[in-house]
Amino acid sequence: MSDNKMKSVKDFSKIQEQITELDPSEFIKLPPPYDDWVDPPMKELTEDQKNRLEHSLDGFSGIAIPKPETEEEKQELVAKFLSGLKKLLSKEDNWILLQPLLLSMENCVKCQSCSDECPVYIASGKEEIYRPIFRGEILRRIINKYLKPGGKFYHKFSGSDIDLNWETVARLAELSYRCTLCRRCAQACPIGVDNGLISREIRKLMSQELGLAAEELHKSGSMKQLATGSSTGTNPTAMLDIVEFIEEDLKDMTGLDIKMPLDKEDADILLIHNFGEFLSWPENIMAFAIIFEKAGINWTMSSQMGGYDSVNYGLWYDDAQLARVALEHIRIAKELNVNRIVMGECGHAHKALMPVADRILIDENIIPRESAYPILEEIVFSGKIKFDPNKNDFPVTLHDPCNAVRAMGIVKPQRKILRYLCPQFREMVPHGVHNYCCGGGSGFAIMQGKNFPDWRNGLSFRMKFKQILDAFQDKIEPSTYKYVCSPCSNCKGTFRDGLTYYNAFDKAGIIYGGLVELIVNAMVDIEKPFIEWELK
Amino acid sequence: MPIFEHGEIKVEVDEDGFIQEPEGWNEEVAKALATTEDVTDMTEEHWKIVYYLRDYYKQFGIAPMIRKLCKETGFSLKQIYELYPSGPAKGACKVAGLTKPTGCV
Repeated sequence: MSDNKMKSVKDFSKIQEQITELDPSEFIKLPPPYDDWVDPPMKELTEDQKNRLEHSLDGFSGIAIPKPETEEEKQELVAKFLSGLKKLLSKEDNWILLQPLLLSMENCVKCQSCSDECPVYIASGKEEIYRPIFRGEILRRIINKYLKPGGKFYHKFSGSDIDLNWETVARLAELSYRCTLCRRCAQACPIGVDNGLISREIRKLMSQELGLAAEELHKSGSMKQLATGSSTGTNPTAMLDIVEFIEEDLKDMTGLDIKMPLDKEDADILLIHNFGEFLSWPENIMAFAIIFEKAGINWTMSSQMGGYDSVNYGLWYDDAQLARVALEHIRIAKELNVNRIVMGECGHAHKALMPVADRILIDENIIPRESAYPILEEIVFSGKIKFDPNKNDFPVTLHDPCNAVRAMGIVKPQRKILRYLCPQFREMVPHGVHNYCCGGGSGFAIMQGKNFPDWRNGLSFRMKFKQILDAFQDKIEPSTYKYVCSPCSNCKGTFRDGLTYYNAFDKAGIIYGGLVELIVNAMVDIEKPFIEWELK
Repeated sequence: MPIFEHGEIKVEVDEDGFIQEPEGWNEEVAKALATTEDVTDMTEEHWKIVYYLRDYYKQFGIAPMIRKLCKETGFSLKQIYELYPSGPAKGACKVAGLTKPTGCV
């Protein structure tokens, strides 16, 4: 091990410029045609950024924590952290996830079953600070020493010392943004300890008590969504302009004249997409409209504030923001008097408005919420639409979005569709609930600032990229076009940036896209190929 | 907040070099920002994209969809990458003085 690595857990509190430096030559190796791949050096922060922003964990800045200017300021932040930690552990203040948090904090026996499951830890060449139990261990030591009676005395004999200073707090805040919250660790734990949840609850503490959160998630994310209608800043007027353009584009591409239903009352389904689909992947919006119209579904979308962007970034960092956005989605559905809300291809939106919202919705706010995947399965096998699977005769593999698949168990519908419509479908290894995260989970896909994208593209996307290459090894030459089916906007953003970073279209002929695009591409009625073979 | 300086030009930018106040933009600022984007010469084609982006932004408060940008300016995505090597969102929007695109785009 080189000298630039942390030696013991206690070093986490050490006052030094940086406690760990990543070495890309230690990252896991990739299969052909990347067997001779040499990682470009990871981008460093500029000198100016190093002077202003905390980066003493691993040299990366995910959430741009400003360096406190005075000793008093540091102490104030540490005090806020400690009082926030008390709140995190009390039922009066932690009203959503207290029980699983306490069970996870109190019962981990450090057996390390989870270590081999974490794509970031493994891909990094087993970097100690990324070990799944590491964050929980820091937090546990702080609780034992600073919150338990006599802790400051007893910790000396327990062999689990830690100093709670500003460095510890700042590093822990950044470290909570080195976990994608994929919860593969929780699935592997023999007793269900959820280290992903611990990361998420640390983020919550940092956001709600210290005002520290990734700008992309908070200020330009959930705050912007509540103010304008979408985290993209799209207001209802812009929304209508975009829908109109998509309708024209759909006609140019397919010859079909489809009017997107907006704000229709009493429909069966209110379909809510991640608004990123409208702006970056409009083919997904078109494909949903084509399928729903051809199948005769009674559906609508909303053009009202609160009803056209399914994202809910609070899921990743803040309970209050999560609740505010979820209630907006419910309000729109009630105003339109629909039977059910259906989530388009966005994993975190599934989890936020379904199992997590189940913990906060009561009485008249409880309305049915469903995933689009099983509805698509029902349509594809209903006989209402004619398909020619030979139109999809190219290698296809399937990515499993963590929130819809591992967290919610929606495993089979998307596979049944692909087995039927894609003659060269092949699974990744492992797949289903065991599949790896895209590497952009928990907001990483949209954290585009400073040097963080290099950490994502070079490290957290790496395990997924290896799986994709492995799945296509028999046809890896760039002249055979291959499709990674990713029914989730956030994952698609990760694939776009990651595949571009590795130049995977030119080098291996790989593109990515959603599930509905493959369905439409196989429709007999659609004459021109719907899938465009370029990396966009 | 970081300050971007180039010759006489001095503007407040975010951590990734996008200007903070779109009102503080003018063609001289655009030329200065272009130097950070590997654009050495702002040709007529570069300006066409810049002004389309700015007009859309003024009307709707966001950057247009990339497909719409291509369709309405007549440039393919490939041509836009040739003009602005880091692409429409990171490159062209920055030179046009738009704030950084946000959300899952």
